[in-house]
Amino acid sequence: MSRNNVGAPSTMEIVHRNLGRRYRAERRFRLIGLLAIVSSLLFLALLFLSIVTKGASAFRQSFLLLDIHFSEEAMNVDNLAAGDYNGMVKEALRKMFPEVKSRSDKKLLFGLASPGAAFRLQQMVVADTSIIGSTRSVWLPADDDLDMLLKGHVDRLVPETERRLKDVQLAWIDDLTEQGRLRLKFNTTFFTAGDSREPELAGILGATMGSFYTLVVTLFLSFPIGVAAAIYLEEFASRNRWTDIIEVNINNLAAVPSIVFGLLGLAVFLNFFGLPRSAPVVGGLVLTLMTLPTIIIASRVSLQSVPPSIREAALGVGASKMQTVFHHVLPLALPGMLTGTIIGMARALGESAPLLMIGMVAFIVDVPKGFLEPATVLPVQIYLWADSPERAFVERTSAAIIVLLGFLIVMNAAAVFMRNRFERRW
Amino acid sequence: MIVPLLLVCILVCSQLAYWLGARRASRKAGAGGLSSLHSRPQYYGMLTALWCGLPALLVVLVWFFFAEAFLTSTVMEKIAPSLNLATPEEISLAENDLKNMVAGHGIMAAANPFLQQAAEDYLRLKAIGEKALFVVLLCLMTATSFFLWRRISPEMRARNHVELIIRAFLILCSTLAVFTTLGIVLSVLFESIRFFQLVPITDFLFGLKWSPQMAIRADQVGSSGSFGAVPVFAGTMLISFIAMLVAAPVGLMSAIYLAEYAGKKFRAVAKPLLEILAGVPTVVYGFFAALTVAPAIRSMGTGLGLSVSSESALAAGLVMGVMIIPFVLSISDDVINAVPQALRDGSYGLGATRSETIRLVVIPAALPGIVGGMLLAVSRAIGETMIVVMAAGLSANLTANPLQAVTTVTVQIVTLLVGDQEFDSPKTLAAFALGLLLFVVTLALNIVALYVVRKYREQYE
Amino acid sequence: MNTCRIAAWLVALAMSAFCAEARAARDYISIVGSSTVYPFSTTVAEQFGKTSKFKTPKIESTGSGGGLKLFCSRVGADTPDIANSSRRIKQSEFDQCRNNGVTEIIEVKIGYDGIVLANAKNGQRLQLSRRDIFLALARDVPDPDREGQTMANPYTTWQQVNPDLPPQKIEVLGPPPTSGTRDALVELAMEGGCEEIPWIRALKEKDENRFKGICHTIREDGVFIEAGENDNLIVQKLDVNPQALGVFGFSFLDQNSDKVQGSLVDGKEPSFEAIAAGEYPVSRPLYFYVKKAHVGTIPGIEEFLAEFTSERAWGEEGYLSDKGLIPMPEDERASVGMAVRNLTPLVLP
Repeated sequence: MSRNNVGAPSTMEIVHRNLGRRYRAERRFRLIGLLAIVSSLLFLALLFLSIVTKGASAFRQSFLLLDIHFSEEAMNVDNLAAGDYNGMVKEALRKMFPEVKSRSDKKLLFGLASPGAAFRLQQMVVADTSIIGSTRSVWLPADDDLDMLLKGHVDRLVPETERRLKDVQLAWIDDLTEQGRLRLKFNTTFFTAGDSREPELAGILGATMGSFYTLVVTLFLSFPIGVAAAIYLEEFASRNRWTDIIEVNINNLAAVPSIVFGLLGLAVFLNFFGLPRSAPVVGGLVLTLMTLPTIIIASRVSLQSVPPSIREAALGVGASKMQTVFHHVLPLALPGMLTGTIIGMARALGESAPLLMIGMVAFIVDVPKGFLEPATVLPVQIYLWADSPERAFVERTSAAIIVLLGFLIVMNAAAVFMRNRFERRW
Repeated sequence: MIVPLLLVCILVCSQLAYWLGARRASRKAGAGGLSSLHSRPQYYGMLTALWCGLPALLVVLVWFFFAEAFLTSTVMEKIAPSLNLATPEEISLAENDLKNMVAGHGIMAAANPFLQQAAEDYLRLKAIGEKALFVVLLCLMTATSFFLWRRISPEMRARNHVELIIRAFLILCSTLAVFTTLGIVLSVLFESIRFFQLVPITDFLFGLKWSPQMAIRADQVGSSGSFGAVPVFAGTMLISFIAMLVAAPVGLMSAIYLAEYAGKKFRAVAKPLLEILAGVPTVVYGFFAALTVAPAIRSMGTGLGLSVSSESALAAGLVMGVMIIPFVLSISDDVINAVPQALRDGSYGLGATRSETIRLVVIPAALPGIVGGMLLAVSRAIGETMIVVMAAGLSANLTANPLQAVTTVTVQIVTLLVGDQEFDSPKTLAAFALGLLLFVVTLALNIVALYVVRKYREQYE
Repeated sequence: MNTCRIAAWLVALAMSAFCAEARAARDYISIVGSSTVYPFSTTVAEQFGKTSKFKTPKIESTGSGGGLKLFCSRVGADTPDIANSSRRIKQSEFDQCRNNGVTEIIEVKIGYDGIVLANAKNGQRLQLSRRDIFLALARDVPDPDREGQTMANPYTTWQQVNPDLPPQKIEVLGPPPTSGTRDALVELAMEGGCEEIPWIRALKEKDENRFKGICHTIREDGVFIEAGENDNLIVQKLDVNPQALGVFGFSFLDQNSDKVQGSLVDGKEPSFEAIAAGEYPVSRPLYFYVKKAHVGTIPGIEEFLAEFTSERAWGEEGYLSDKGLIPMPEDERASVGMAVRNLTPLVLP
């Protein structure tokens, strides 16, 4: 500025001349940022929308109102569970449509009720034996083909040969609808049952409990171990060959395909330690190993971003290295660590490939009651249903995804809560 | 089962030891006040508690893992001669019978009086063992904590001892990664070696054709099988590259916007929402990629006169890019947020606009963290399976054209492992070799990345 | 330090919850194996679990190879009792079983699975012969100008393969080479078509390797698209792309008959009746294998076998046929059922 050439513009002039361009650049930059966020949010909304529209109908289920006669002859006195409940359902249907005579037509007629109807009656009788001998009107689950028709997933106008429901069946269904004996009701089975091959009897409780047990093991192991490893590497370890090896190892593990962790789990936990197959505890261990790198990397990043002045101040007033880290650095780095953990856990919640090798991709009807009982997890259930031929599983797949997303949202909300409590800005 | 009871017992005793230790330290400090102690009383308490709890915990662990085996073998030894068990398999089944009976599921083996007897023996021994264990534990805990309690004195360097133990724990945790790596290498190495005995290693590493059309059964001969890993790796690179083309700019710009421009409320809502993207099961992305994105790309491509395969790397890559956005975004956002405000203020003071500050000051300061996030995202892209299976198929084409079908390493590993072919066929073994090779390749990439990051890492204050 | 202590308590409580369970012995049947048999096996298992006093068996979908490997690893409660397979057990697997002490295996053939080539309803229904399938899908096809020579498959439309077919682009979505479905497609459809060409059939005796090399290799130039084993996805992809043909199991055609139509093969429609009668040429048997040593030790195996081989399960009107399993002819059912009741072990050389 001191060399003030007469013809050349002053610095201020240059600044002013460029100011418009710089402001435009600023606006542009900001707009791009906003665009990036909005586009990702839009995609998320699109994804949600497509899943919800596909899966919403699965929360309702068709039921048939049948007048069941709990006849004494059909009961097995020694074993109530072994009574001829199927016969009662058939009897009720026969009474309603007495004109049906031929064998093939009867088969079609009985096909309107779900095989689960008999189980429902069996439960009723076992719960209350006093109903034996009486006649009651009972809402019983209808067959999945009928369910699909009622929900409009099947076109009734296509030629008969291309439909699973035949013309006679359609006539019966119309008849039943007119009498008010066919109705969509809330599908409680979906939330209270384990897996089943009949879509109308299939539920996600088993898989949800499996996911829960698995994630509890994963969380309780991976968070402390991951944070401890990150603290050691970031705060205590001196830079030498050994820590380099550890660091490269951790980064590398993040890129190992998840099914390879399954192979490891098979070799170590099942074959070497002799833990049971298909158990949530093994799944949790495998997922722990898989999520550890994510948590360690995120935790290290957040430890790195705590300014050195904090440490120096603490050391300056006489805290030991350990006290500095645990009393001052760790609380400040915790929000970032939580972020990493939540992402890691979210991934663990959505992972199915490594569980294949340890036997959790399985058909399990009974709801698991502990960490060592055979179980499957939600993403596996989704994967298995997505591969099932029955049409009614399509909507149930989407419904299961909705539930899984619900859990994700809850987990993330918890993380937000904690992050907001702890987050600091320098 | 007695173990949970024991754990609670240990916990209570440790807590007790803590109080006793801390109190003794305070007493010992005497007239000089707490400042005459080497460490604060809590550390004495903690040390006592650790001495009390750790050895006991070790004993319980040993019991938990070995008691059952020990009891079973003792009992079985007694009855083995009378049962005429010859092979290890028969013994294993008899053991299962025994366990069934012990657990109360004696549906079928009740007929055998020897087993009945054995089961009773087992239960009896177990009860004795558990009582003994309980007594041993109590004695052990008292002894160890008393030993330490006696030694508590103002000069005792309690804090340093405690810190040493914590440090040992930290080191143990960080070496777990090395053990995991070791385990992975060991669990794929032997099968890989068997594969290389069947297929020459050079063919595998440098072969340009991947076509595992080998016979599934031994009586089917003649079908060709070539196991060149190059196209599979090229496909992985292509798809990961496309994914990063989406995820890196979108993720980074979103992070910048969230950290620097967005209001607090918007940020609090948007960030966790976007993090959900990382947790959506990949099956969902797969369906979306295969049924929505791929046909759209195909019709767009044919509209432009391009030949597009119905399965394309582009569709898989794009959707995968969306999936890994949170990995870039979340970590970058945290790091950008952690850049000291003083740096920004300095930049503003010099007259820079916000975007200039971000580009020239904040991003360089946050670079190591951002690179970390990117690496994590790339890792996830390489490891992803389901999207590729559904949208990009399994055909291994050696091409750089994103409109063609390609396949990735992980997809091949999964399909080979769950296939119907015999488990010893080179097809299955190839999965292990692919896993090993992928491991080595990512290891090399990570070593390079480590040096790069270290070179450019800057610490600001 | 307070937080530390709280964390310690939490960890301890979690651990005690974990340890609270006794490691009980197995009281349910464990089944592993093929994803093709999985839908049928699970149906029987569920029925079995709900109507008997035994627990519902646990069924893993691991693929035939992985399943048989687990099955053959040894005898013992921590190994599976039953392995499902979409192909017959191999000699080498049988030997491995025997070496590992699994000496007595009961083979149960449960029925047939038709493999269909289908396209979307809004496309034209194809009438293929096995020869057409071979010419359209093989990597090397006979050169029409030079007898006894092959050339790289030049055909891109169905009309080039057979003038009676429409001028539609050949595009087939099918299973990868690791799949038993693909194996069946190659052996039944392609080899059958292959043998209709005289000089290749002559090769069968002279140079079997070359014969199989020609007949069993599927082209890899993007016409045959390896689309993974999720058959539902293939059905949905066909819906979007009416030109394409998909290869999958009969049960998916049965369930989606309003969306896709099966191509006729050698003039036969892939219908339940045609496959059951053995008229439709592309169908394969499904099996499962039982460890005899486990019968009587793991509760419920015999009862499960009885349920599976009962008329109400695998019969013509049984519930398995509703799920798309094609039943065996009556006399074959009777003989397999007899072998199962007597627990007759499988004998391979």
